Amino acid sequence: MTVSLHEVSQRFGQTTALNRVSFDVKPGVTGLLGPNGAGKTTLLRLVATVLGADSGELRLLGRDPRDGVERTAIRRRLGYMPQEPGFHRGFTAFEFVDYVAILKEWTDRRARHVEVRRVLERVGLGDVASRKIKALSGGMRRRVALAQALLGDAELLVLDEPTAGLDPEQRLRFRELLSTNAGDQTVLLSTHQTEDVAALCGHVIVLDAGAVRFAGTPAELTALAAGRVWLATERSAGARLAWRTGDGHHRCIGDAPPNAELATPTLEDGYLLLLGDKALAVAA
Amino acid sequence: MEVERVADAELLLAVAEGDRPALAELYRRHAPWLTLRLQRRCTDPDVVDQVVQDTFLAVWRRPDSYRGSGEVAAWLWGIAVRRLIDAFRRRGARRRLPLFVATSSPSAEELVLLGVEHGDLAGALRRLSPELRAVIQAVVLDGLDHREAGRLLGVPATTVKSRLFRARAQLREELT
Amino acid sequence: MIAWHADPGLLHRYATGDVDPSLAASLEAHVQACARCRADIAGCVDDARLALGLDGLLAAIDAPRPGPVESLLRRAGVPEHQARLLAATPSLRLSWLLAIAVALAFAVGTARLARDPSTGVDLFLVVAPLLPLAGVAAAYGPGVDPTYDIGVAAPMHGWRLLLLRSTAVLSSTTFLAGAATLLLPPAGWAVAAWLLPSLALTLGSLALSTVLSPLRSAGAVAAGWLAVVITAFSEQATTALLGPWPQGVAAVVVIAATGVLAVRRAAFDTRGIR
Repeated sequence: MTVSLHEVSQRFGQTTALNRVSFDVKPGVTGLLGPNGAGKTTLLRLVATVLGADSGELRLLGRDPRDGVERTAIRRRLGYMPQEPGFHRGFTAFEFVDYVAILKEWTDRRARHVEVRRVLERVGLGDVASRKIKALSGGMRRRVALAQALLGDAELLVLDEPTAGLDPEQRLRFRELLSTNAGDQTVLLSTHQTEDVAALCGHVIVLDAGAVRFAGTPAELTALAAGRVWLATERSAGARLAWRTGDGHHRCIGDAPPNAELATPTLEDGYLLLLGDKALAVAA
Repeated sequence: MEVERVADAELLLAVAEGDRPALAELYRRHAPWLTLRLQRRCTDPDVVDQVVQDTFLAVWRRPDSYRGSGEVAAWLWGIAVRRLIDAFRRRGARRRLPLFVATSSPSAEELVLLGVEHGDLAGALRRLSPELRAVIQAVVLDGLDHREAGRLLGVPATTVKSRLFRARAQLREELT
Repeated sequence: MIAWHADPGLLHRYATGDVDPSLAASLEAHVQACARCRADIAGCVDDARLALGLDGLLAAIDAPRPGPVESLLRRAGVPEHQARLLAATPSLRLSWLLAIAVALAFAVGTARLARDPSTGVDLFLVVAPLLPLAGVAAAYGPGVDPTYDIGVAAPMHGWRLLLLRSTAVLSSTTFLAGAATLLLPPAGWAVAAWLLPSLALTLGSLALSTVLSPLRSAGAVAAGWLAVVITAFSEQATTALLGPWPQGVAAVVVIAATGVLAVRRAAFDTRGIR
């Protein structure tokens, strides 16, 4: 078990960001799904040791992050990609990753430069390493941010919305990058996109309003919607959620509308069924 | 043995825009002959490798210092030989190779080839003393000015000037 | 263009140094002008050597080029990796240091041009301690460091980076202010009266930032300093500040703040919920 949370809570002033959250994360890729404000960023910051938990038990890579020495040991095997990565003004891609490498205790210049080039080649930015980051496209900047997380072959990768704002082709490249990792690496990533989870993740956790609503495989989440998804010519009154598809039909989740045919549920259907209107507001 | 498809000058334009693969291609084309030519002027292979790297670094950082006239190869040699001179100044003269140390006598074949390239000049050059020949090589063939030639050979510029005068006088005498 | 091409065997003998010097010169001139012979001669150099050379070249291209401040640090003996960390500090950029210099020049100018020189010096003594405070507030923390989160999640302790940057900023600003002090109209030892308060303000702000955000701490300390100066030293700050009480208090603050920082340094290790 790479990550273990037990009754973890986090409060910011009056708001409760996480409410007695418990789950385990094994090696492989685990997706964290949830609407805005669900507490995904807070949760990932906890796992990345950036925040300290208010209450509850947290074990990362077999250690307790509350202890200073253990925390540093965890950080030596951790890679974190924040939601909106910031870069120092005027730095080239190489300089930025080199800077983070120094923070990760690579003090020998020669070895460090070899490692920086390795991770930049990994994310496909080998040829533009000496370009300034402000001259790079959004997708490339994301890849720079991912590269620094890959330094040192981190055992635990924590990625906060790595594919947000990317176009489909860039998203595909990101998925390819993330799926070609070593077998015993643990990746925990958050996303709004159910396709990312369906394509990448062996395990999925759904978070809503600071609480875990589901933890299991994508197949199990999809199965929640089995027998509850219909294609009809008109919206039904009994449907919990419904929307028009491109070809003029209505896809409904819930009770069967008149003259409807059963549709094969997708992961998104399961997710929407679980969360109801709140999820639909985001998906729209 | 493929001949270059994209012209060197085009590669330089690409390098000016930060195209790394273009620089790598320029390197593949020119690093070998530059290395060999430098090696005949400096015995230390590490210095030679460093000078080659410095040359292409200069190409990367200031590609627009190529004025667009003449061969790119000639421009590259100009940078390389000046970097070599800098290296000699920094590290001292110990690794300078005395030029024109004949290692074997030419075969008849080679003499004929020389005849095609330089006419009578080849023979006349060989009859110059090594010091005079070195000066001719540095100034005429490598394209250095008196001061740079002096730094390369480890003599003052005035010596270069006087040796050049004597060499030219001797060649003129032999060839006319 | 010469249609003559060198026989590969001949090129090989050139490569091993086994040709007559004049012939070698001739070959060199030819190779410089002929693409095909350049391609032929490429085979005479060891592939591994060329590959290593290309690798080294690409690495040299990518390697960060130090700016003026960083080069200065390196020459002063700062290890390369620390100098690189300092290069990312906003308040160690040339532009910032220039701004500090301008502010100091302004204060000195006012002091020299004022009718009563001690008033000018008063102004200087009030302003000078605020400069390193601003510099340190701009050196570290979530508000000013775009890579703050990544830095927190990294194994290097937050307080170490803070210490490194604060020391550099404090030293550079103190040096500039010290130089400016030499240009002030003479007022005895009073002109150095800002030294301890400046240290006290900076360390106090850092100690406070174990509880508040760095920017808020700096703001609170600056406000406190101005309040103290205005109320306690309504006249003749010059002489008053040099007195044993103010200097003594400043010294106590320095020691206390250092103690707090040493004890609570783990606070910089995680992102506080501030």
